[in-house]
Amino acid sequence: MGNRLPLFSLGIIVASFACPPLFGQNRPPAISEKAAPSSSTPDFSGVWMRSGPPASNKVLQSWIFAFNVEEPPMTAWGEEQYKAAKSSFGSHAYSIAETNDPVYHGCYPPGVPRVYLHPWPMQIVQARDEIVMLFEYDSLRRQISTDGRPHDTSLGPTWMGDSVGHWEGDTLVVDAINFNSRTWIDRLGHPHSEALHVVERFRRTDHDHLVDDITIEDPKAYTKPWTAHLELQLRPAWRLEEQFCEDGENFQKMENKETSPKK
Amino acid sequence: MRNRLLGILLGLVALWSCSTNAVAQNKKTDAPAKPASASNLRDLSGVWMRDAPPATAMQYWIYELNQEEPPMTPWGLAKFKESKSSFGGHEYSLEETNDPVLRACFPPGVPRVYMHPFPFQFIQTADEVVMLFEVDSLRREIYTDGKPRDPDLIPMWMGSSVGHWDGDTLVVDTTNFNDRTWLDRIGHPHSDQLHVIERFRRTAPDHLVDDITIDDPKAYTKPWTAKLEFKQRPWKLTEQFCEDGETFLGLEKKEASPNK
Repeated sequence: MGNRLPLFSLGIIVASFACPPLFGQNRPPAISEKAAPSSSTPDFSGVWMRSGPPASNKVLQSWIFAFNVEEPPMTAWGEEQYKAAKSSFGSHAYSIAETNDPVYHGCYPPGVPRVYLHPWPMQIVQARDEIVMLFEYDSLRRQISTDGRPHDTSLGPTWMGDSVGHWEGDTLVVDAINFNSRTWIDRLGHPHSEALHVVERFRRTDHDHLVDDITIEDPKAYTKPWTAHLELQLRPAWRLEEQFCEDGENFQKMENKETSPKK
Repeated sequence: MRNRLLGILLGLVALWSCSTNAVAQNKKTDAPAKPASASNLRDLSGVWMRDAPPATAMQYWIYELNQEEPPMTPWGLAKFKESKSSFGGHEYSLEETNDPVLRACFPPGVPRVYMHPFPFQFIQTADEVVMLFEVDSLRREIYTDGKPRDPDLIPMWMGSSVGHWDGDTLVVDTTNFNDRTWLDRIGHPHSDQLHVIERFRRTAPDHLVDDITIDDPKAYTKPWTAKLEFKQRPWKLTEQFCEDGETFLGLEKKEASPNK
């Protein structure tokens, strides 16, 4: 494991510094795109890639590793946790050997909403009773029940939380709780407790664009709820590729491919 | 990590020893069973659990596909001899095993992914069939849109799958494997030429059969077959991550506990 993690981490850092809009240009042709039906429940199916301002290679763009430029409103407990986080991102970055980032030390899942802070696409599969989010990143997934069932916390806190969703007109509202306290909110190490409650409102603003308005609520870590905004672009020609954190070797190859100037 | 792995192994043994009823009790949710009728045979959607006889000892179906040895080439046999499995008749300890799943939480590949006592779920859309596995939260995407595989794919742990319907049978064709997985839990080999063909069929509304053909001319002298059976369950998949041996062990203990 010792050799693989540093490579993986290096790959993450390299990938983050490159221009995210360039990722995946050579994707193979694949799933046919579906038009969003206008007269019934919207259809968010497809492969989506986070879009943001083009990242200069010279400056660490904050949107790669955190949700907002400004600090979220932490409680005293939250501040204490944040100080203990030794992130390998941002302006005071620790080295891979020094970081205590759970994703780097153990290939642990990133949790929500950190799962969105990675330069790889996600795919939404819409089924009758649930919506499934498949992430290329570490082949992770989320299953969001849309059949009206309540949250299920019977097996105790989980890495990726328990998500239920419902429609409000053209907006999909996803409510997630039952998180364990072992993940970071973002790649900088902003904290959360088991009281974390994430509410997301997804809307397809036009055929090629999806927005996710996120509300983070955690009275133990934050003095009040705070919000973030993600924008995603449809990639109709893409299929998700396989990716496993444990396989640092392959992961490094993919990173090299993604950041190669020849692309 | 060693204690966790030992715990996992013991848990797995214990789990297979439990009756299917005991397993079901802990999986109870208020998830409604998908209504199954004859007209739904072309829809495999739902959560499926391997339907095998209760095991009171280490029965072969826990760790390999068939009781008889598959027809290995000399290359295949040599590779098989290198496997130090913690299953079967000559078990190595967890410290000694070179099982890639137990050593490093690597993905199990196909068809080994079925040889775990956890359910999987089929989700069917117009363009693909998605298989979500509870084990290590793995997945497979089986593209049914008729488009060819990307010729530039790097070798994959779980292979690249395309599927099509042949009457009421979903035929899944998987290639592009890397050579880093074991075919099963006892360490039968495969090369990167592995070609797995599966024919999934609902033989009854709540019963699924997977007829598997293993074709790997480097490892086996001829293609050989196996058959897996699954029963539909009104369950929801739970989260599971191999890296998190602690939680994994907790789930195993829960499944195996007589107090459930």
